[in-house]
Amino acid sequence: MAALPSSISFGTEGARCRAWVHARDLAYELVMRELKIRYKRSALGIAWSLLNPLSQIIILAFLFRSVLDLNIPHYASFVFVGVLAWTWFSGAVTTAAFAITSNAELVRRPGFPTYVLPLITVASNGVHFVLALPMMLVVTVLDGGRVGASLLCLPAVMAAQFAFTAGLAYFVAATHVRFRDTQHLVSIATMLAFYLTPVFYSSAVVPAQYRFLHYANPMAVLLDAYRSILMDGVWPSLVPLAGLTIASCCVLATGMLLFRRMSLSFAEEI
Amino acid sequence: MRGSIVVSGVSKRFKRSSGDKLSSFKETVLSGFRPIETHSFWALQDVSFTVQKGRSVGVVGRNGAGKSTLLRLIGGVGKPTDGTIDVHGRIGALLDLNAGLSDDLTGKENVFIAGVIAGMTRAEVRSCYDSIVTFAELEPFMEMPIRTYSSGMRMRLAFSVAAHMSPDVLLIDEVLAVGDLHFQRKCLERIATIKASGTTIFLVSHDSSQIRALCDEVLLLKQGRVITYGPTQAVMDLYEADAAPALEDRPNIAVEAERLPGGRLLQHGVNRSGSQEVQIKAVRLLHPDGGTARTIVSGGGFVVEFDLLAKRPVHSALASVTIHTRDGSPCFDTNTEIGGMNLGVLTDSVGLRLSIDRLDLAGGEYFVSMGAYLQGWQGLYDYHDRCYEFSVVGPHSGRGFMNPPSAWSRLPPASSTGKGDAGTAWHSKGAGR
Repeated sequence: MAALPSSISFGTEGARCRAWVHARDLAYELVMRELKIRYKRSALGIAWSLLNPLSQIIILAFLFRSVLDLNIPHYASFVFVGVLAWTWFSGAVTTAAFAITSNAELVRRPGFPTYVLPLITVASNGVHFVLALPMMLVVTVLDGGRVGASLLCLPAVMAAQFAFTAGLAYFVAATHVRFRDTQHLVSIATMLAFYLTPVFYSSAVVPAQYRFLHYANPMAVLLDAYRSILMDGVWPSLVPLAGLTIASCCVLATGMLLFRRMSLSFAEEI
Repeated sequence: MRGSIVVSGVSKRFKRSSGDKLSSFKETVLSGFRPIETHSFWALQDVSFTVQKGRSVGVVGRNGAGKSTLLRLIGGVGKPTDGTIDVHGRIGALLDLNAGLSDDLTGKENVFIAGVIAGMTRAEVRSCYDSIVTFAELEPFMEMPIRTYSSGMRMRLAFSVAAHMSPDVLLIDEVLAVGDLHFQRKCLERIATIKASGTTIFLVSHDSSQIRALCDEVLLLKQGRVITYGPTQAVMDLYEADAAPALEDRPNIAVEAERLPGGRLLQHGVNRSGSQEVQIKAVRLLHPDGGTARTIVSGGGFVVEFDLLAKRPVHSALASVTIHTRDGSPCFDTNTEIGGMNLGVLTDSVGLRLSIDRLDLAGGEYFVSMGAYLQGWQGLYDYHDRCYEFSVVGPHSGRGFMNPPSAWSRLPPASSTGKGDAGTAWHSKGAGR
């Protein structure tokens, strides 16, 4: 028997089902714990989670409309969508570095499903995105955007982002156990990626000869899809999104495989 | 079988990078991708044993003997360098009780978090929530953040949650009892209940009395190797003799593995232990007439002879001989103190003989162990653990190991004499008292 960290020869179908239920409950409780701890003793509570992207949005909106006009219609909602989705992604990937190393006592615990930990960082960052969605819709409508039936495919786009981010989170979490400067590399990489991704500029301004690079960036494809849904009220273009979904699944599978291989030595390396 | 643990040939090597710095990309790049110098050590070597469902096994050994490493490997944390571990059924663990408790959350929230961390689903925690709170005796405090709790209250809460798991195999590392005396007793009772319900228990502890009270078998580890695995009483006697403060971890005198007549290898750290300042040599199992006794008849005489060789003069050393059944239970144990013999000052070599007039053992195979101890059982010079084998020819029912002279007969019919009435009368009188 291979001593997997997640399950120890559960054998029967019922036991495997129970292991899934347990992993789900564990993820739920740990995400809730993270949110509760973060906001329980602050006067504004969960509102803090909105202040950070809001301040960024205000700065960007001021900068690129009043100082250096980028000429993008509905710029406030445009940058709102971009910043929120980006914050989810970059927040999850940078905190994923500590998913394993700051939970040593859980990782060393017999029977603890380690693979849940990177998912928790992605999910708890995702909660902020979900909480901001209603506000985003209000801003969009006030800004003159259109919202329609294409909202129905928002969960699918979010699922694709979740899978992509989780794949990277697995990779970062596992690597940080072996190399403790991973966190610095990740923050530099996310900063670079912020400028390579059309968060505050439109993908329409990307020169034609670099367009293929643009479509190789999953976050760019995701932002385009979010903006189609939340601003224009149209269905996102299918081909890039389908490609993205496949790519996300590949990233996730690779990340999980690597994580599983490396997780065998986590307990002795943290 | 569900609830059993099978460990076969397990070794675990840990790598320690030189220095206590954590490795980084920068270092790896600067060192030109050469492997960073590491030295490794074996935390466990060739460990094999089987725990049947529902048994409770204790693990003893000094710090660094590999006890916790073994417990975690059984729990699926990490992978053995060599060998395999099979655990059948759901694993629960009672260790690091403080892990997962959050100061700012209420007792109730913490019960749920600690519960899922311990391996329960939320539905399971909900269903035994009341029982957890009652057991912890914290009913009035559940809505308060646990930063207001005393450390005893925190431990009670954590133990109570962990003790409500219903795993097939329960791994316990040192945390058998927490809180004040009253609560500690409750904890131990709870463990006994879990054991009685058929859960297999694997317990790492330094507390000999708890091991003796709870365990059916004990595994004695030393520097990552299994010294012995057998019934609690026998192993704990060996462990306690070995653990006495006078004793060094390693033999004071270099000792090489010896091949005994009969082919068995006598090796320090495997079936031999002790400081070796006095060594047991030339062990002979004999018939009373002096011939070598590989086989004796049940009820016949039996003689054990051996020499004690002192490497330096020692005072009032003690010697013991134990006869074990095949599975390791002792059936006869005696020593020079019981026998009223004082060895005085031992300077060189002395031959000892233990004559047993009649050995009323049931038919089967038996092992002999012998030990040489410091004055007043302060420590162990040498111990040969079940290295010598002999067989007994005689009746054997499959259970028990005694075969004293015995006879069956039919009693005369009760009604023909007054004897039966008298017996009945005596019984009723006895019950009335």
